[in-house]
Amino acid sequence: MSDPKIEGYEFKPGYSGMAQDTASDQTMFKGVHWGKAMMWIFLLSDTFIFSCFLISYMKGRGSTTVEWPNPSEVFGLHVFGVDVPLLLIAIMTFVLITSSGTMALAVKYGYEKNRKMCGWLILATAIGGLTFVGMQAFEWSKLIHEGVRPWENPFGAPQFGSFFFMITGFHGTHVSIGVIFLFIYAYKTFAGHYDERKRGWFTSMKGDYVEIEILGLYWHFVDLVWVFIFAFFYLW
Amino acid sequence: MHAGIIFFLVILGSVLFHIFTPWYWTDIASNWGSMDDTITLTFWIGGGVFVAVCLFMTYCVFKFSYKEGRKAEYKPEDKKLERILTWATTIGVAALLAPGLIVWNQYVNVPKNAIDVDVMAWQWGWQYRLPGEDGKLGATKIVNINDNNPFGIILEDPYGKDDIMIQSDVINLKNNRPVKILLRSVDVLHNWYVPQFRAKMDAVPGVITYYWFEPNKVGEYEVLCAEYCGVGHYAMRGGVIVQSEQDYEIWLQEQQTFSELIAKQKKIELNETKLAKK
Amino acid sequence: MSEDFKNNKEIHAQSSETISGGTGGSAPDLDYVRPAEVSDQDLYHGHSFITKWVFCQDAKIIGIQYFCLATFTGIIGLILSWLMRLQLGFPEAAGFMTAEHYYQFVTMHGMIMVVYFLTALFLGGFGNYLIPLMVGARDMVFPYLNMVSFWSFFVAVLVLLASFFVPGGPTGSGWTLYPPQAILEGTPGSGMGIILMCVSLILFVAGFTMGGLNYLITVLQARTRGMTLMRMPLTVWGIFTATVLAMLAFPALLVGSLMMMLDKLLGTSFFMPTILKAGEVLEYGGGSPILFQHLFWFFGHPEVYIVALPAFGIISDLISVHSRKNIFGYRMMVWAIVGIGALSFFVWAHHMYVSGMNPWFGFFFATTTLIIAVPTAMKVYNWILTLWRGNIRMNTVMLWCLGFIVTFVNGGITGIFLGNVSVDVPLSDTYFVIAHFHMVMGIAPLMVIMGAVYHWFPLVTGKFLSEKLGKWHFWTTFLGAYSIYFPMHYLGFIGVPRRYFEMYDSPYMTSAVGMNEFISLAAFLVGAAQFILIFNIIKSLKTGKAAGKNPWQANSLEWLTPIVPPEHGNWGDRLPVVHRWAYDYSVPGAKEDFITQTTAPSEVTDTKVEKT
Repeated sequence: MSDPKIEGYEFKPGYSGMAQDTASDQTMFKGVHWGKAMMWIFLLSDTFIFSCFLISYMKGRGSTTVEWPNPSEVFGLHVFGVDVPLLLIAIMTFVLITSSGTMALAVKYGYEKNRKMCGWLILATAIGGLTFVGMQAFEWSKLIHEGVRPWENPFGAPQFGSFFFMITGFHGTHVSIGVIFLFIYAYKTFAGHYDERKRGWFTSMKGDYVEIEILGLYWHFVDLVWVFIFAFFYLW
Repeated sequence: MHAGIIFFLVILGSVLFHIFTPWYWTDIASNWGSMDDTITLTFWIGGGVFVAVCLFMTYCVFKFSYKEGRKAEYKPEDKKLERILTWATTIGVAALLAPGLIVWNQYVNVPKNAIDVDVMAWQWGWQYRLPGEDGKLGATKIVNINDNNPFGIILEDPYGKDDIMIQSDVINLKNNRPVKILLRSVDVLHNWYVPQFRAKMDAVPGVITYYWFEPNKVGEYEVLCAEYCGVGHYAMRGGVIVQSEQDYEIWLQEQQTFSELIAKQKKIELNETKLAKK
Repeated sequence: MSEDFKNNKEIHAQSSETISGGTGGSAPDLDYVRPAEVSDQDLYHGHSFITKWVFCQDAKIIGIQYFCLATFTGIIGLILSWLMRLQLGFPEAAGFMTAEHYYQFVTMHGMIMVVYFLTALFLGGFGNYLIPLMVGARDMVFPYLNMVSFWSFFVAVLVLLASFFVPGGPTGSGWTLYPPQAILEGTPGSGMGIILMCVSLILFVAGFTMGGLNYLITVLQARTRGMTLMRMPLTVWGIFTATVLAMLAFPALLVGSLMMMLDKLLGTSFFMPTILKAGEVLEYGGGSPILFQHLFWFFGHPEVYIVALPAFGIISDLISVHSRKNIFGYRMMVWAIVGIGALSFFVWAHHMYVSGMNPWFGFFFATTTLIIAVPTAMKVYNWILTLWRGNIRMNTVMLWCLGFIVTFVNGGITGIFLGNVSVDVPLSDTYFVIAHFHMVMGIAPLMVIMGAVYHWFPLVTGKFLSEKLGKWHFWTTFLGAYSIYFPMHYLGFIGVPRRYFEMYDSPYMTSAVGMNEFISLAAFLVGAAQFILIFNIIKSLKTGKAAGKNPWQANSLEWLTPIVPPEHGNWGDRLPVVHRWAYDYSVPGAKEDFITQTTAPSEVTDTKVEKT
């Protein structure tokens, strides 16, 4: 991305540019929207939440006295008479990562002020997220049906159930919140709020397409976290 | 002015309080005199810094109180002074840290001749177990604990049979012989602490923690629980009796081993069944 | 809605002749400051009572709301401490108090004071009021979020206080909430009490995150023209760094609380090993109690600096203003704040030397902990070197500063005892620890809060607080608090363990009875002395001396608003332009002994300003 133009300020490349930006007045991140900077810092904080969860999980899994269940069996799916390990989860991950792609396109069309394309792509992202949550609900009900509970687990250590439901639940909550916002933003895009710079319902801030990028940051983060959860729960 | 005098008196009072205090640590009864020494060292260096900083502050109050028309010095930075202070502090801190780490190294490395003592804690009490002639404690499991097996010893473990069980909150220790305290808890956190021995460690359910000391003064001491463990925390006391070798051996002979306990239980059961048959 | 915004003027569109800021024509090159990068903030001006005073989006009002609510919970914490001291000093007079009550009071006192009083007051109270004013912003960058932040805090306090009225009462597991005892029978409030505590903490963290994002972005992205990071007052640096710590440390608390709630409500075993209680094996198993301790202290240690760093920053400014001298070694002070903040994430397990964690960690954490002593000591040196050759106004504000230095140095040095792993062994879990942390993060920050109240009261209300009452307030608080906590260290040397409901039957502790009575009496006195401040505030609001503009002749921006006390939007129709740091006091050659941050260089050409 090219540097924004700022009157009276010359950008420098590399580390000296970073040092100059830091030492300058007014802003540290030149030309970065307040909301975007806020989202980055929020995501940093959220990273610590997920890190705490995953480190606790590693500690719990490492110190358990009962055998940890084999993920490729627990998460396997029996399709057309064949046992396919990790099938559902592969589809879920694919859907979520695709939705990240549509989100990125939505941001691009948003900045091009292509209201229609932008709106449809946000809607597609929302539907991707919804599909993901739906499949997660299916997986949860399958595990619950097989007798896995937060406090017990027929396949081995009870902590498996505890950590699985807690961490995927926490991530699923993130996705669900994202989906709700995606629907709201899709509506706002179609209704033209960003073109008219209409004020928000609660915050009374003027609408701007940058909001889509901010939501996009959140959405990509949720995807990224999923990759880690996927690796730690399903591949370890 | 008055303020300066009061601050000066506060500092003077602190120093005098430290010199004349009747409240100070109990007479040490273990090998951890080195802990007291590091505390004393920290006291001198730290106390010196405290007095110096506060006296300097008081001096400034006397010397530089507001006067109409006088101007303060304008000197944003003094690199040299700041560098000197940084290095002096670093050296001082290192001088405090080094002995601390050396003592800690001793604390975590248990001498080979230490006697293992199993200290079992629960809400709210203690009991103890000593290894028998084999010098080893039998393995335990919380789920095995019942009236016939108060320590939850795994019955298959050969080391467990001759373990000496002391179902009392008071334990006797041999003078001048290191002991390795192996702590375990069946419910919540506890901490087996005798102020005169200085050492302590939490008992954590699910794991066995340890520390060691060498009692070196014959006498009776009170054991306190030093980690909050519920409403009975303050009443969770025990005792230690440090004895000379002869007294200790006599006491040890009177204690029951695990196999004796099992035998006794069996006898009682046998009697009961006989009675029932009659 | 459009009329709510009509007061906003598009200042950023100032044409090039005013770009120079300040003086205009005379020496444009000398005074040149880059034009504004972003357009002026678009603010929502409330008109009704509700939008102006209750659900208000003005950071100054939100700051006052935070301040009042935090003070209210602080008074509850104070009353709880009285009850505890009554039991410890005069157990026969506290016959109504059972051990359950005592432990509940201990727990609630600790949690209230650390989280709901000090953290909320420094970051929510002073942060909201001062950050926008000091960096020259019109308001926090997200006023709506800021409002929600306060009301989350409000709900968190309500939930916390509700736990006093549920069956079983509030949790009595100690403020560290260690499992397994926190959620097991045998600990008071192990039912609803601990659940409400966890819920309240989660709400607090959520609310705080909203506020924290505001503070950070305001400092990073909404400074006024000419305000570089290295020109900011140290107050802003302290609050800013503390907020960074909070954003990264609170997640651990949130995760710990959540997992403990699941252990309690769903019967998971994150922190619960196999447990035998009353002869029965509980349905838990396989969890690790020490994991919670790690999570808690990964939050808990930065939390200490979340309280301390704003205090460091504020005290630096107060000492500088009232000594009429620049803060000595400003850059060192900034780097010390940042360095302490960064290091504070690598020292948490010094709270756990005797917790049963792997003892080899002790070496690492003792070393990192003692490294922190270096930047902290540098800060202390710089405060006293600021007094050196100053022109010290011995007013109430300065007294609080001096009281802070004495108590902080005292508490800091006892911290070296406890941080140094083997010295900690005999002292941990005794009254030495209580004395240490009350001195260093109870009394010392309280001194700063009081100093700050006396310093900024004229800004917030336009009236001075009474100096006479202020001096009474200071001396009773300082001497009383010092005589509570200084002797208390010696109880720790004897070996009196903390969290003991009563213990004077032990042979070597009989000598402590008299001291406990004395400490309790001092505690009652110090607590009562705080009501002098409340009386002083009420009295001064009615009959106090009018302060006028910039009564302390300070340099920083908060005193330079066109209207005092500042109104919503802070700066009228023109944002200030900053030309120098906030500490140009007693510059040789200047007419006055202060040069405000907005003074253009061309106005003070004949002075010897070293740093701008």
